[in-house]
Amino acid sequence: MGNEKKQSKLKRIVAKRGMGQVITVTFGLVGLIIVFSFLNPFFLTSRNISNLLRQIAPTLLTGIGQSFVLITGNIDLSIGSVVGMSCMISATLMTKGVVPWVAVLITYLASLLMGLLNGKLISKAKLPAFIATLGTMTIARGIAQIVNNNYNTDSIGEAAEGFQQFFYYGKTLGLYNTIWITLVIWLIFNFLLSRTRTGRHLYAVGSNLHAAHLSGVNISSTITKAYLVSAFCATTVGLITTATSGMGTMDAGNGYELYAVAASVIGGVSTLGGQGILLGTVVGASIWGVLQNGLQFAGAPVAIRNIVIGIIVIITVLMDIFVRSNKRIGKAKTSADGNSSPALKHKL
Amino acid sequence: MRKKLIGSLLCLVLLLALVGGAQGAAKYRIYLITMDQMDQHWVNVDAGARKAVKELGNVNYRWLAPDVKDDAKQIECINNAIAGGADAILLAANGPTAVTSALREATAAGVKIIYVDSPADYPGEQTLATDNEAAGYKAGQELKKALVSKGITSGKLGIVNVNAATASVVQRENGFRAAFEGTSFTILETQYSEGDAARSKDIAANYITQGVVGIFGANEGCTVGTGNAIKEAGGKVIGIGFDKSNTILQLIKEGHLLATMAQNPDVMGYKGVKAAVAVLEGKDPGPEYVDTGVSVLTKDTL
Repeated sequence: MGNEKKQSKLKRIVAKRGMGQVITVTFGLVGLIIVFSFLNPFFLTSRNISNLLRQIAPTLLTGIGQSFVLITGNIDLSIGSVVGMSCMISATLMTKGVVPWVAVLITYLASLLMGLLNGKLISKAKLPAFIATLGTMTIARGIAQIVNNNYNTDSIGEAAEGFQQFFYYGKTLGLYNTIWITLVIWLIFNFLLSRTRTGRHLYAVGSNLHAAHLSGVNISSTITKAYLVSAFCATTVGLITTATSGMGTMDAGNGYELYAVAASVIGGVSTLGGQGILLGTVVGASIWGVLQNGLQFAGAPVAIRNIVIGIIVIITVLMDIFVRSNKRIGKAKTSADGNSSPALKHKL
Repeated sequence: MRKKLIGSLLCLVLLLALVGGAQGAAKYRIYLITMDQMDQHWVNVDAGARKAVKELGNVNYRWLAPDVKDDAKQIECINNAIAGGADAILLAANGPTAVTSALREATAAGVKIIYVDSPADYPGEQTLATDNEAAGYKAGQELKKALVSKGITSGKLGIVNVNAATASVVQRENGFRAAFEGTSFTILETQYSEGDAARSKDIAANYITQGVVGIFGANEGCTVGTGNAIKEAGGKVIGIGFDKSNTILQLIKEGHLLATMAQNPDVMGYKGVKAAVAVLEGKDPGPEYVDTGVSVLTKDTL
């Protein structure tokens, strides 16, 4: 009996909001890293590792935002456009001589308004998330184009040197600042999601909206919070993009919202809501980044890379569906007081 | 109530669109259709075209372009131009074949086609373009010269390109590769960034990790990314690029890029409009193909 209890405890940890899939895909990630390090001697050099970590950062950051939104059972398609919008707003302001830190502040404010709009459209006006964020996606892209009159900006110049160092080129304790920024943001939002009441509300809203409402969760503010997190993360990526290029490009961030979905989903966040942890998003984003980086070294044509990545997304989600249906059967078994039926066993 | 409000808002938007579309009635209606509206290159084609329009005074000119490079969206632009009563279209074709049936409809409707920058596989009145293959070859020659003068006669080279579907950048790449034929340099698998400067930077940084001696960026975004990667990595990798923008020129001045192949997009737009009007007035627009050329911009020539 005691043994059984222990086992179920372990099971509970493994089953905790998709921890199981996180463990599975971590093995996948390790496998990929081993394969690539055999294929190419450059892959595990310290220079490539720090480059690789920095290349993963934008996908991870947008993935954190997307995960928050997915956990509430919604989706944010505006992420890529908000990246582009923040890139253009910050770069335009800096080319016009605004002090970089003020520009950064204005950029965050503008994008958070976009997140607020997303949240309110969905929670108050009851628009489907797909439609609402499709709308704000094109609006944000339009803003990216209009802020500098349909031009990419000029170079943000020497006054912005510190800004470029802070967000991209500089290093602290041997690691690129981009990586530190991502780490800090991840820690904060991971705490918010796993340790606070807001986090529990996010899961509640995504698991069962009606039940959450009945138990007194403020649905509107919870959903809005998720979109604010998403906008914040996207803006940070936009600023990193500006720092990387030293200019504003209007098509920056194109398609990032879908990379973010991929990172989240590979890491075990369910598109149906209520399921997933940010540790999974880290693994998901890493798989994405490792594939991009490793396949370039392997000399694989881009078409092959796209096919491989698509297949991986599908397989991981299939795996999730498979594991979940098994779990449901397992639950049915325990509720039948241990009297496992041979028919169910056969299915397993 | 909400439905009524949304309905009346929609009506207002439609009305505005109608008013916007119905202005002006000059003699010739000319549309410029580019691959997108973002690259400064297209902005410069537009500027050149506007200059010609101002000089001529009898042209109703408009610039149409998709928000991103996309064949289907460019076809829509062509259809819109036909529907908008175009007399002539200046077209920078996304690819050689995708737009041909749309162009067939255009000529059937009596619209004259002038190609600027990138022609399609369909007869037009005139093509004003950079000979991209020759320009790519020139870029390759410049890079080879610089490498050899440093005593480097073999090694790996990387190419950051936009995508594999746009004729102009593919030709640049072909020209660049041709310049290294018969040498002991090896060119790695081309990587595509869709012209996104941040993604180009990642690709170029990976090339540097692989130990390349030189990198070629095939357009503005690719070149900026290449320059930034070399700037960060330091060392002796030589970068060469395409197109001219303030950021690229700065990277050259700082010594992170060897050179850029600057096209003359304004000449394309300017001469394109003039050629279109000549055709519409029944005059000879001149030769079928006009190479608008490139100039090699280096630290010394800036």
